[in-house]
Amino acid sequence: MTGVADGLRVLDFTWFGVGPITTKYLADNGAEVIKVESRKHPDGLRLAPPFASPPGINASQYFGNFNSSKKSISIDMTTQAGRDLVRRLIPHCDIVAESFRVGTMANWGLGYQQLRELRPDIIYYATCLQGQTGPRAGFAGFGMQLAAIAGLYYLSGYSPAELTPPHGPYTDFIAPRFGAFALLAALDHRRRTGDGQLIDLSQYEATLQFLAPALTHYFGTGVVAQPAGNRSLRYAPHGAYRCRDDAGQERWIALSVADDQQWAGLLAVLGAGDGPPALAAHADRLARPDEVDGYVGELIAPRAAGELTAALQHVLVPAYPVQNCSDLRADENLRAFGFFQSLDQSECGPMPYDGMAYRLGRTPGRQTAAPSLGEHTDEVLAGLLGLGPAEIGQLRDDNVLF
Amino acid sequence: MRGPLHGYRVLDLADESAALAGKMFADLGADVIKVEPPGGCPTRRIPPFLEEESAGPEDSCYFQAMAAGKRSVVLDLSQARGRELLCDLAASADFLIESFPVGHLDGMGLSYEALAARNRRLIYTSVTPFGDRGPGAAWTATDIVGWAAGGMMAMMGAPGRPPLQVTVPQAFSHGASEAAVASMLAHLERERSGCGQKVVVSMQAAGVWATNAETAFPVLEGRSLARSGIVPAGMPRTSVYRCADGYVQLMIGGGMFQPTTAGLLEWLRESGPLPDAVAAIDFATWTPDRFRSGDPGFYAELAACDAAISDLLQSVTKAEIVSRSDANGWVVAPVATMADVAHDRQLAARDFYQQVEHPGLDRELTLAGPFARLSEFPAAAARRAPMLGEHTAQILQGELGIGEGELAALEAAGVVSSLRQGVAT
Repeated sequence: MTGVADGLRVLDFTWFGVGPITTKYLADNGAEVIKVESRKHPDGLRLAPPFASPPGINASQYFGNFNSSKKSISIDMTTQAGRDLVRRLIPHCDIVAESFRVGTMANWGLGYQQLRELRPDIIYYATCLQGQTGPRAGFAGFGMQLAAIAGLYYLSGYSPAELTPPHGPYTDFIAPRFGAFALLAALDHRRRTGDGQLIDLSQYEATLQFLAPALTHYFGTGVVAQPAGNRSLRYAPHGAYRCRDDAGQERWIALSVADDQQWAGLLAVLGAGDGPPALAAHADRLARPDEVDGYVGELIAPRAAGELTAALQHVLVPAYPVQNCSDLRADENLRAFGFFQSLDQSECGPMPYDGMAYRLGRTPGRQTAAPSLGEHTDEVLAGLLGLGPAEIGQLRDDNVLF
Repeated sequence: MRGPLHGYRVLDLADESAALAGKMFADLGADVIKVEPPGGCPTRRIPPFLEEESAGPEDSCYFQAMAAGKRSVVLDLSQARGRELLCDLAASADFLIESFPVGHLDGMGLSYEALAARNRRLIYTSVTPFGDRGPGAAWTATDIVGWAAGGMMAMMGAPGRPPLQVTVPQAFSHGASEAAVASMLAHLERERSGCGQKVVVSMQAAGVWATNAETAFPVLEGRSLARSGIVPAGMPRTSVYRCADGYVQLMIGGGMFQPTTAGLLEWLRESGPLPDAVAAIDFATWTPDRFRSGDPGFYAELAACDAAISDLLQSVTKAEIVSRSDANGWVVAPVATMADVAHDRQLAARDFYQQVEHPGLDRELTLAGPFARLSEFPAAAARRAPMLGEHTAQILQGELGIGEGELAALEAAGVVSSLRQGVAT
């Protein structure tokens, strides 16, 4: 089986979340994605947990998860000889990807205009938090900062006085899809015209695509969206409801009710007859969400989340247990989709990977484990540049390959 | 400029759960035809509205944002002739994106196999809530249900209180944007083989990707994160600080955060001497090794800085903090509201927002701008969302060659409807 991106080669300078996840879409589908790092400047996630035992620079699954199916070469980019090697690799590459602070690559002589001289149809993917231009182009930070800047922190909480931010560098998991989509469109443009181009992916601007309706609302009416817990303008009940504990663990179910038919279904499953007359109409329930939550919450409390989900879905009420990460690993729907993967990492053996959230029916792609640092240095330099063992040994002795 | 995907046609049969997928195609220049049922796509009825009192089919903020740049054709797929017309459109389409319940279109004779028999190039993307093979294949989801199923909800909210969603829906957009990428991956191969294929996306799995690789922790470290209030799950302490008129996000620490920490303390010194515990700190000792060593003295220093900086920020505004931060290059982020984002100077400098006229509304609309800047395609003029049935006649007559008389008959039979003189028939 061939992968859809077979034959493409990417020289990948990206690190942390957004860049690596972007190029992973190509790597998992057959592209040769060559990640450039060094022991001096490894991808920062290589130093972050969770680790295989024993921990080490090749044992981070935080790194592993975002870098499946790639190759790794270790070149010290702070050396002239290292940068010369990279310049020799460029003509062999379709795409260069980077996520450094603005200007870093150009200072190394590896900006878009400079690389076009080496490979005229190069596609150059540059991503940073706020874009390559503008007063905050140089803002260095992570997805936590950006989640705050883009409005997601403020929209996460029970009320404006009780904010509860989303987990992790949340925008790192929004921006890559926009980046990958733009890259794939640029590849098609190159196929049709022969022209490469520069893609400036501002993670801020990408993230705002998820918030576009709230921005449209603000511009159209002046209304500023407020954090509203699990309240909804459309559904009541709507939220997470505590179920019976399971083996000492608290369990919750998320559900929403859109109309009287679903309300009747919910009441039937909960064995509640017609329910309180005051909550009989959808408009009543929307107007009195606290009362609805109290009423429904009591009925749900003794039930088991999994069984209740199946019963509610059977009567067409959208519901699902609130799954934590342990629950996800046992989730039957993820298993049936073939989501989680165990892949053999060259130093650590089998490691737990998230898989693809999509399935290309005819050309499913194939994930392999993330590379150890520099695992493919010799292979790539010999294969693409024809360097022999003596030359490679000398570069290693000179700490250029480091 | 017309965008890199100019010339490709997308049939967009998606409801709100995958509306963003077609939007991404439209943003890059594809011809995205939104196929709506008589009366309009349910996404037109999603609140909030531009006019709360008299909300019509053009008033949904969600619709205006997520259907921008698309065309609208109204087809009744419950009628055989409506389905035939869809097949005719699919015969010349490059992509079809749908989010009906799994198997629903198959049962209407609109399966991938049926449509591919006439157009082997077709890429047919089904966006499902929970995949197409497990016990939940037939289940439905709202956004909050998807957020719960993907693992993010369990990590958001306060202990002892319910797990939370983000107030602006997220889970659907994860699945929809994944569908856009997966469709383009299939396209990459189609242009070599000439063959399209069926693509299936799991919104749940796309949501799992947002958990930040937390899914590996249960296996490798035997733990699973729980929600922890304003302190982000998994973090040692809060990074959200109250200021005079809201909040800012910042991290007190060494490394890339050290200049910010030192700078804020310097600001504090302007109004008086630093607390002794802070004044005594030698930042040169804030090394990664000391951080990793768990040295209690280091954590005491962090706590002292934390308290001092909290005090400082209480009395200054978000704008003052951001202004200082911008001037000094600190890593401080405003906890921005939509109003802050709407007036942000970085976005203004990049001409992010786009104004469009809308004949069905009494006001100009401002839309979020492009998600990526491509050097070969300087920004195109923004395109508004279509009015209900606005392009029915154009598409049926222009693309399918249906004559005026037949169109009138189809309309009379309720198979199609088109916008005439500003009103959908």
